[in-house]
Amino acid sequence: MVNVGDMLVGYATDENVRKRGASGGLVTAVLAAALEKGLVENVVVMKHINEFEAVPIITNDVDEVLASTGSLHSVPVNLAKYAMGRKVAMPAKPCDAQAVIEQAKRGMIDLDNTYIVGLNCGGSMHPVTTKKMLVAMYDIDPEDVVGEDIEKGKLIFKTKNGEEKAIAIDELEEAGFGRRESCRFCTLKIPVNADLACGNWGVIGDLAGSATFCQVMNDKGVKLLENAIEAGRIEVEPASDKAIAIRAKVNDVMVNLGSTLEKEIFPDIPDKERMQYYMEQMEDCIDCGACKEVCPVCACGEDSKCTMFHSLVDNYKMSMYHLVRLLHLSDSCIACGQCSDVCPSDIPITLLQSRFAIPSQRKREYTPGMNVDDVPPFFEVILK
Amino acid sequence: MIGNVYQTVCPGCNMGCGLYIREDEEGALLVDFMKSSPANLGKLCRFGMKLPHHYSKATSMVDGKESSVEDAIKAASDRLKGANVTMLGVGNTTNEESLAFSNIADAMGTVVNTGMGVYSELPTECHPTVGVGITLDDIESAKRIALFVDPYVQYPLLVRRILAAKKNGASVVSVGWKDLHLADENRYIDPDLYESELGLDSESVIIADVHPNTDPGWVKRMLNLALKTQAKILFMKPFVNATGVDLLCKGTGQKGIPEIMDGINEGSIKTLVILDSDPVELMPNSDVAAETLKKLDNLIVITSRDSPVNKMASIVIATEPLCAKAGSFMNVEGLLLNNSGEDTAGIDAMSALSQNLGGAAMDYQELHNTVLESIVKKFTKPKYKELACEVLDIGPFEEKKGNLIYLYNPFMWFDQSDDNDFVMVNMNTVNKLGLSKGGMIALTSDAGTVNMRYRVEDMPDGLILTAKKLPVATGWTTVVSTEAV
Ligand SMILES: Cc1cc2nc3c(=O)[nH]c(=O)nc-3n(C[C@H](O)[C@H](O)[C@H](O)COP(=O)(O)OP(=O)(O)OC[C@H]3O[C@@H](n4cnc5c(N)ncnc54)[C@H](O)[C@@H]3O)c2cc1C
Ligand code: SF4
Repeated sequence: MVNVGDMLVGYATDENVRKRGASGGLVTAVLAAALEKGLVENVVVMKHINEFEAVPIITNDVDEVLASTGSLHSVPVNLAKYAMGRKVAMPAKPCDAQAVIEQAKRGMIDLDNTYIVGLNCGGSMHPVTTKKMLVAMYDIDPEDVVGEDIEKGKLIFKTKNGEEKAIAIDELEEAGFGRRESCRFCTLKIPVNADLACGNWGVIGDLAGSATFCQVMNDKGVKLLENAIEAGRIEVEPASDKAIAIRAKVNDVMVNLGSTLEKEIFPDIPDKERMQYYMEQMEDCIDCGACKEVCPVCACGEDSKCTMFHSLVDNYKMSMYHLVRLLHLSDSCIACGQCSDVCPSDIPITLLQSRFAIPSQRKREYTPGMNVDDVPPFFEVILK
Repeated sequence: MIGNVYQTVCPGCNMGCGLYIREDEEGALLVDFMKSSPANLGKLCRFGMKLPHHYSKATSMVDGKESSVEDAIKAASDRLKGANVTMLGVGNTTNEESLAFSNIADAMGTVVNTGMGVYSELPTECHPTVGVGITLDDIESAKRIALFVDPYVQYPLLVRRILAAKKNGASVVSVGWKDLHLADENRYIDPDLYESELGLDSESVIIADVHPNTDPGWVKRMLNLALKTQAKILFMKPFVNATGVDLLCKGTGQKGIPEIMDGINEGSIKTLVILDSDPVELMPNSDVAAETLKKLDNLIVITSRDSPVNKMASIVIATEPLCAKAGSFMNVEGLLLNNSGEDTAGIDAMSALSQNLGGAAMDYQELHNTVLESIVKKFTKPKYKELACEVLDIGPFEEKKGNLIYLYNPFMWFDQSDDNDFVMVNMNTVNKLGLSKGGMIALTSDAGTVNMRYRVEDMPDGLILTAKKLPVATGWTTVVSTEAV
């Protein structure tokens, strides 16, 4: 019997899945069970290509789900858009879950049909930066990497010949590598907005490295776990008080770090200079539209407010497109970093959006993507 | 998996931008970002982002009627037997298909022209440097960059490389058609002054481009500049596999597309076989190109996409979409990029054609191995090849003939519409002509008149730039008269 609020430690009963899983293979087992028992019609998972590349797929094949074990820290995708219009179960970092909820607020995703298996997230890295980091900091050929892990603030890489090398994330970030900028100031590390919140923080003792910590956030979380237990795919036990305390402590450390870094990443700009600052930052925009296309909270179609008033024939210093987007996303931007990732001119667009959105969201004590019932402060139309 | 996901490369230019094309259950296509892609880190320009809009499947045809691919191959074989054939493949498809095409050329005792006529005018010693220049990563560590292209419009994925170089302390001088925001200096100087005025040395990089309509004199000038200043050089190129086909078709005639069109007009070319290369799109004036192609006895098109030339072709042999093909491409820096697709319909069709023409059967794996042996071993992840030629005699350098200039870019090479139906002029031109805000400018040439919206840029007096093909153009530069509408 599983209840909302339960803090559990569990693992996949299939030894292979458990072994290949990022911690205990529980997430994979829960997703596979949801599919085979008909709780959902499809599952969204990452299809591995190599250590630095994976592609999100939508599948109804249990084997494909079982093959998707493992956490890819250097594959910074957002999965929300793959869940649209389907009855799915999906893994979700906190920002994936936030995007799903924002889409649900805009009528693009039906949360009753979407099961979100949350993954704790200390941050993700850009694959090409990671490869460069491996050469520069680890003296490892990226081709030799077979696995990676984050433990006690260190990033560990395992190589073909069985060796492991660990370097403190702080050190890596000081050298210009490490997590994406948006992940550094993110303060949502445990996906309490998902149906289940799974991770390896708090997995201690004999189970360390071979089990998943799982917090049950709501009734859908109960369903997911009970379904997987019934299918014989997972075993769970209550987490010890010590495990719970350790998890909470690591989370506090990470959240505080995020808040500290936020102050560094967003130095104050005098009011008078703000417009100039935004204009200069945007001046190399090539109007590709990728930041809109990739935005996981954008629910507008191709024809939308930001594109409507924008034309290449206008030679404005800052386009209407960006002006409209700054305003439009001010209550929904979740600072997931996707737009910066894909900007062909390397404009730090997430930082610009966040610099604009965060103060306004804080003023209204509103955090996007946490609860579908929280109405965005600037919502024009409430969809029933 | 529901639908398909193809790991592929953008066909817009030779940058080699990796991406995913998703095909959903209904066959609708979507672009997705492949962030581990070395050339572009998953980033795409405006053309790459709109790629699904440009995909339209080709249909096999014989004499204007839909046919099976087998019938189209048979009809093509019948018409090619004993004919005097000219072949064109600019590099809009994989190395493996290009090699298969080249094998067919061998079987018929002819060569594949890449459309880049400029190569045949350059000493072979400098081909490696023109073919594969400095790596994109190396641009970022240059101390000075001289730009002879507009990266924003023409090769957008260069922008981040140049900005990164600037962050690393580089200075940038642009010698182009209009002021570039990322340039520290925008110079409009006499070409004879480049060497003395641009401040280039062995830590500098020159970025120029070659394409089917490039003036060979201009390329020689760029090479001389590199030779005299010791600067390294990168020639950007259109077409996803321009570098691959150049290496595969080494030593061949390398007729330019304009030369081929002249040959058709003169009657010396009667049969043209093209592989994913549409002269109607590639020539500066689509209507003139279409009229020229009508003069052919046989126009045989092997293609993966629907484009204007298909409608005029005697025979169309349709192949699978580019993203679905098994095969590889080589980008401008000599990096081999593989498609995840496994379809070999195009190669199978060319194998059948080859056999009908007395050549050998071909299979994908064999072709792929040859590609690895013949070009990849020699060129993948190359060290910069220092220029091996002497300073070149430029010959009579063609003066720019017109005031309307084409800013070639992927949309233009594919003649695809975009939000670019305007020309660029400077403020003096606006004032001189009395152009009204939001009004139009009329451009008149021997080919007619067109009214265009305009955008104001900082650029030399009297010039008119366009990033869209215009019916009044007669070449990549055209003399036009202007007036306010
Ligand atoms: C980028 C990232 C950072 C993480 N950081 C932490 C952390 O700091 N602390 C912590 O306790 N836990 C962290 N986790 C979660 C942890 O690594 C495990 O995923 C979790 O413990 C579940 O383990 P499992 O064996 O049950 O998962 P598995 O059974 O191995 O299943 C993993 C699931 O994650 C999906 N997945 C893999 N990569 C990604 C990705 N990049 N984005 C979205 N989904 C993905 C896979 O498709 C699969 O469904 C992180 C996970 C990721 C992806
Ligand atoms: S057109 Fe060229 S620069 Fe643009 S996405 Fe395609 S390959 Fe990259």
